[in-house]
Amino acid sequence: MEERNWKIIKFIAVIVVVFAVLFWVRTTIRNEFSRLSRENSLELARSVASVDPDLLNEKFPEIYYYISYFDGRENENAKVSQLLKKLPDYEYGQENAMYEEFYISNQTVKFNGKEYFAIFAPIDKDYEVIGVMVQLHDAENTLKLLRTIDIMFLIVFALFIIAFAIGTFSIDPVTTYAIIITFAVALTFVVYPLYEAVKLTFARTGNFTFDVWKTVLTETSYLKSFGNSILLGALTATVSTVIGFLFAFVVTRTTIKGKKFVSLMANLPMISPPFSLTLSLILLFGSNGLITKQLLNLKWDIYGLDGLVISQTMGMFPIAYLTMLGVLESIDSTLEEASMNLGASRWKVFRTVTLPLATPGLLSSWLLVFTNSIADFANPLMLGGKFNVLSVTAYLEVTGMNRLDRGAALSLLLLLPTMTAFYLQRYIVNKKSYVTVTGKPSGRIVEIVSPGVKKMLSIVVYVIAIFLVALYSTIFMGCFVKNWGVDYSFTLSNIVEALQRGKDALLDTTILAAIAMPIAGVFAMVVAFLFVRKKFPGKKLLQGLVLLPFSIPGTLIGISYVIAFNKPPLILVGTAAIIVINYIIRELPVGVEGGVATLKQIDPSIEEAAQNLGANPQTVFSTIILPLIRPAFISSLSYTFVRAMTAVSAVVFLVSAQWYHITLQIYNFSENLRFGLASVLSSVLIIIILTVFGLLRLFVRKSEYLEKTIIS
Amino acid sequence: MKQVTLKIENISKIFKDYKGNEVRAVDNITFDIKPGEFVTLLGPSGCGKTTTLRMIAGFEKPTNGRILINDVNVVEIPPWKRDTAMVFQSYGLFPHMNVGDNVAYGLKMRKLPKEEIQRRVSEILRIVGLEGFENRPPSSLSGGQQQRIALARALVVEPSVLLFDEPLSNLDVLLREQMRVEIKRIQKEVGITAVYVTHDRTEALTLSDKIVLMKGGKIEQIGSAEDVYERPMNRFVAEFMGKINFVPVEVVEILRDETIVKLKNRTYKIPSLPTAHSDSYVLGCRPEAMRITADGPIDGKIKTIVYMGNFSEYYVDTEYGEIMIKVNPPFDKALSEGKNVKVDIVSEIVKVIPDRE
Ligand SMILES: Nc1ncnc2c1ncn2[C@@H]1O[C@H](COP(=O)(O)OP(=O)(O)OP(=O)(O)O)[C@@H](O)[C@H]1O
Ligand SMILES: [Mg+2]
Repeated sequence: MEERNWKIIKFIAVIVVVFAVLFWVRTTIRNEFSRLSRENSLELARSVASVDPDLLNEKFPEIYYYISYFDGRENENAKVSQLLKKLPDYEYGQENAMYEEFYISNQTVKFNGKEYFAIFAPIDKDYEVIGVMVQLHDAENTLKLLRTIDIMFLIVFALFIIAFAIGTFSIDPVTTYAIIITFAVALTFVVYPLYEAVKLTFARTGNFTFDVWKTVLTETSYLKSFGNSILLGALTATVSTVIGFLFAFVVTRTTIKGKKFVSLMANLPMISPPFSLTLSLILLFGSNGLITKQLLNLKWDIYGLDGLVISQTMGMFPIAYLTMLGVLESIDSTLEEASMNLGASRWKVFRTVTLPLATPGLLSSWLLVFTNSIADFANPLMLGGKFNVLSVTAYLEVTGMNRLDRGAALSLLLLLPTMTAFYLQRYIVNKKSYVTVTGKPSGRIVEIVSPGVKKMLSIVVYVIAIFLVALYSTIFMGCFVKNWGVDYSFTLSNIVEALQRGKDALLDTTILAAIAMPIAGVFAMVVAFLFVRKKFPGKKLLQGLVLLPFSIPGTLIGISYVIAFNKPPLILVGTAAIIVINYIIRELPVGVEGGVATLKQIDPSIEEAAQNLGANPQTVFSTIILPLIRPAFISSLSYTFVRAMTAVSAVVFLVSAQWYHITLQIYNFSENLRFGLASVLSSVLIIIILTVFGLLRLFVRKSEYLEKTIIS
Repeated sequence: MKQVTLKIENISKIFKDYKGNEVRAVDNITFDIKPGEFVTLLGPSGCGKTTTLRMIAGFEKPTNGRILINDVNVVEIPPWKRDTAMVFQSYGLFPHMNVGDNVAYGLKMRKLPKEEIQRRVSEILRIVGLEGFENRPPSSLSGGQQQRIALARALVVEPSVLLFDEPLSNLDVLLREQMRVEIKRIQKEVGITAVYVTHDRTEALTLSDKIVLMKGGKIEQIGSAEDVYERPMNRFVAEFMGKINFVPVEVVEILRDETIVKLKNRTYKIPSLPTAHSDSYVLGCRPEAMRITADGPIDGKIKTIVYMGNFSEYYVDTEYGEIMIKVNPPFDKALSEGKNVKVDIVSEIVKVIPDRE
């Protein structure tokens, strides 16, 4: 106990010393500021005093004054004389002025609800003082500044006390700091902007009102957009789930040729830039498209609902595919085999065994695609045409009409379906009703479809895969075509021009992604570590907050960041920081979940052994945890990088002249019908992503033997 | 070797379970350990052994009480600053490091010079009998070898206290016996203070200088292996240390070094004192301390006979419940299952035990 007392004494001593130092600093700064502003006021007082008293009201209407001449006359432009005479140094000021000295009172005067400096000035006539003028100069700004200094001082002192108390009294200060920082980040960059966005929708010029919501919820064009979003989401989700299931089924349950190719094509859209598939769809099926116009000369073009469903499906069916792949792989095919042995027909086995087991998975992937489709911004922006969806409408409100409040309300509206779908999906996954991992997966494939059906399925799958290949090749070809839709002659000039004009954006994008990547990766692993291994109050809340951005559409994040970080205390709009922070916050949930899943499989006694041998938490983290969860760490890195390189929906609100994003450049080029340039930038982006991906994959390879040993 | 004393003073640990209810995992226990002593925490599953050990290591903070290592209270000191080393049930080897790096980890944390680290690593590997295994990955070793690496890794830092949490429970029976001998040898060789958690009484009896027998978070008895086995202070301890039959008796008189007891109408002179004071007593009779005789005071009926080779176990139903008797050859052919018999005690080796759990 004695030791503890010592600690407390030391703690108090340090706090006192720090307080003294901080107080001294604060007083010095304060005095300096108040001296400066008093000097400014005196300066002004001199020019006021030099003016003929009769012209004062005209020349300095904002200055209140009271003049007493020695011959007894008085003159004032407001009833301030009584107030002034109450000043304790009134006499002293008068005396000073009599001796030609300007004097500023130690106290301020409150008049009409505002604070003023009182300045005593001599009134000269023929080099003789004939009276004293007391002027009132606005002191509000100065006082506000001084108050701000005091508040800052208190905040710094409070932060110091907290940090120092943790450092002194916590057994494990580093972990405590990590928890507090995580909380602070979640509150500042998740809760605060959302709160500000919600607040804005209820406030107009400072008053509480439902006006914004009334407009948003009654105007038909907005409601139409909302309906369109849901319709598009439902269609895309349905088509994507069917295609994703087909792909997964063909890969896990049949023996067709070219499986590697099929699964490659079902993965590629996950990492391609958002505008790339859209771009090639426009090149092929746009109003001046190669197929629609040049080859078939159709009236139809890709813009509108039908085109959107096609382009979203091409981009999003991989989500369904990967989900269903996991589900179908976990359903032991011996179950199917067994029922086939019992004499059930192939179709019956599919209908009574495979399908019921896969249903929760199908539901879950439908909901995932639905969320993604509704939150999607890039495809509707390019392909929507007259078909408006909510994310684009919100964007246009903000950038076109400059109506942040409506933009915020519309994007909050978007949150309703995405959150519902997301948490429903969570619920289904957590129930885990579909995982029937009975025994060991045999790795053997039971052909539960007849050869005829198999042929049909593989044709469908191949057609889609080849269609994707065609889309990617179109982008590639687009790089070398002079003027798509008009003049198809070969040229290299696109490449030169695109690189020249896109160089800055490309560099910005890559730099920002490269900065966000390690921060998000390490932060995600630290947070995962806290979640799995540490007990602390408010853990459930923190988990909820960290995972929240998962279900928030990028549009909402972008708009709320613009609202929250364009004013004090945190002015970040226009900086690189806000873009990087946005990447980190949005990709954190995925990284954390990966880290949590991996950490849960690692025996806690490994870390305890390290601690026991003298390693403090940060050493345990860097020498034990990080190497052991390297696979999760690396995939979190690559995920963040890809998402940062291909971001659109939030970043479109956050870019500035200094920090631009390559995807927006691509969009601008294609809006101006410079398809060649857009193709070049898309291709470059794909190449960068694939390169970084490949490099990171090399690291995972090297640690593969590890994964086995930890998890065994 | 360091001369280290360890004192556990009124330690309690209360957990909150998932419903928020309080669980008293450890309930106000006190014991101390002399330098170089090998102490075992023994008890049934869930009695708080692991929790106690983890509090000594610093992984759990006691709700109450003090832990003194060399008279310094370490309760507020985090694990990485405590001078304890633990051998885990699941070994806790670092899978991403080879054997040498595993063993060297603690020394690196202590920032020792490279040469010394190398010297001490090979020295300790020699002691645990795994010379030249430095470059092997842990996953390529057998269970017993991995356990030895875990032991070496803990020993090499020369901790004040060595802690074991059921280190042998993952090994097969033969290996377990071998490792038991090995651990004892190594502990004696380096002379370290050690706390060993187990629920296996054979391990406790063979390894310990002192046994702390726990139940439900409380200590039931502390003593040498002989104390605990021969002089159990209550029925729980007696039963936990091995098969025993209880026969209620009346204590007539306690003399200087013998006790006069009355069983039914018969008076026996037991050549030892009751193991503790109580209002009522029972006789604790190990299976070898009872016999079937023509004139025993206890009536019974043979229920089952289990032939064990060099002896047999007779299970006899009596008014005091089922009694197990160990019978050495030659076996009386007349004693068969279902036969009514009379049972007597061997008064020289029975113990008078307080009649309480
Ligand atoms: N972290 C915890 N949270 C809640 N209860 C716990 C926790 N750790 C242990 N307990 C409870 O405390 C009691 C003692 O547990 P402990 O692990 O110390 O038992 P043990 O004697 O080591 O048992 P075993 O022989 O099975 O390992 C048990 O009832 C257990 O459920
Ligand atoms: Mg235990």
